Amino acid sequence: MITKDNLGEIDMTLNWLDLFPETVKRMLLNLSKELLEHVEEVRIREERPLEINSAGKHHFLDRRGGLTLRPEEAYKPTREDTHRLLDLISNHSLYTMEEELRKGFITIPGGHRVGLTGRTVLSGGRVEHIRDISGFNVRIAKEIQGAADDILPHLLDRKRKRVMHSLILSPPQQGKTTLLRDLARQISYGKWGNSSVHWPGMKVGIVDERSEIAGCLRGVPGFDVGPRTDVMDGCPKAEGMMMMIRSMSPDVLIVDEIGRPEDAEAVIEALHAGISVIATAHGSSVQDMRGRPALSGLLENRMFEMYAVLSRTGDHRSYKLYDGGQRTLQTAISGQPGGDAYA
Amino acid sequence: MLKLVGAVLVLGAGTLAGFYQAQQFAARPRQLRELILALQRLETEISYGFTPLPDALERIGGSLREPLKSLLASAALYMRPDYGLSAQDSIRKALGEYWKRTSMKSAEREVLEQLSGVLGTSDRQDQIKHIALAVGQLKHEEAAARDDQVKYEKMSKSLGLLIGALIVILIF
Repeated sequence: MITKDNLGEIDMTLNWLDLFPETVKRMLLNLSKELLEHVEEVRIREERPLEINSAGKHHFLDRRGGLTLRPEEAYKPTREDTHRLLDLISNHSLYTMEEELRKGFITIPGGHRVGLTGRTVLSGGRVEHIRDISGFNVRIAKEIQGAADDILPHLLDRKRKRVMHSLILSPPQQGKTTLLRDLARQISYGKWGNSSVHWPGMKVGIVDERSEIAGCLRGVPGFDVGPRTDVMDGCPKAEGMMMMIRSMSPDVLIVDEIGRPEDAEAVIEALHAGISVIATAHGSSVQDMRGRPALSGLLENRMFEMYAVLSRTGDHRSYKLYDGGQRTLQTAISGQPGGDAYA
Repeated sequence: MLKLVGAVLVLGAGTLAGFYQAQQFAARPRQLRELILALQRLETEISYGFTPLPDALERIGGSLREPLKSLLASAALYMRPDYGLSAQDSIRKALGEYWKRTSMKSAEREVLEQLSGVLGTSDRQDQIKHIALAVGQLKHEEAAARDDQVKYEKMSKSLGLLIGALIVILIF
């Protein structure tokens, strides 16, 4: 069992526990150390069972912090609990979160993300705000150094000494963001995962719309994203990419979850500016991209030189690599176990 | 001789008590004014600055005089994540610790406690409305406090001395 006293020694990354109201926190602290370290999501729904997702499995928590699969035995967070949680995650200042409430999630120190549900307030047919927030999904961000070890050597263009334009595809919850973060770190440090490559580190620009990749707090990255990395935090992707290209002269531009037409335009702009782009998108195969108007253009024009498709079964991750013409290059490299922060 | 010393002491104590009371009457409107200004600044911080509540309280507190300075600073302190307190709890805890040092009365405290329940829990428009309401109530109290000051400040001073004198006469 973990007590609050030895918590600090065990893992600094458990400081996300401070977010929870005392009642829920006590239950979480009663979990075994191993389980607690692998928690991916804590889901709190008012008056409904408290749920955690750990290592790909879901459990309900009872009042003493024991695991159960029967909803009726589980602890049901009260209105007081959810109010407190909202107060704590918004830093007692919900009024500063207008943009976040429009998008439906709040990013908190440490790069953790809290998804919210409640009653939406519309203005002109668009979501303006969420009121009566009663559902929370706390997704715990994890830094897995070395998550990109297997894949990075495949993304290098050794002749021209550069990183290839790459798109990483995967369904949600497969570790895309974790991978992207580690790619940024390794490229920035100049650790290429291959003994025959001795290039110095490159300038990396991260456009971090949801503050997930770098986990910035007041503009300073919470994760180690490397010494030569600049982060544009909380910025819309397309605009951020253009700003980075114009002002920060990155060698490699890293961006999460492209999907809108303007994102594709900015990617094209970056490619033409001679900047390598590493991007991610939701999808389980390269074929999936065809169905998405914004991305199919990139595919047809062979904008990316390398596609990596991630998949995860239990604790193991694997990749499939395709070149720009969608020919399969390699399948199923076994990945680092536990690459499970979020996608 | 001893009697005389005793009489002087009683007289002195009475006078001091009177002056203290008078000072309270004078300090209440001044502190109320300061509190109103602080809330108006908070409104600005929220509506234009998007400043998070703990930072706003700390900043505003820094420019105030004691005891409001410590009141706001400790409320901001209790809002830090390691305390795990809600905004309402933090403010109430700070009020519990520092209210006795102020010259204000329970009506003002009630206004602040009510405000603490909604601070930080809604969007900007809503926050501004609640703060404006609190400011309105405090202004009302301030007007009453000024009336009291005019009526009772001088009277308290003389009353202290006179009561001292009365006790001396009764004892002799």
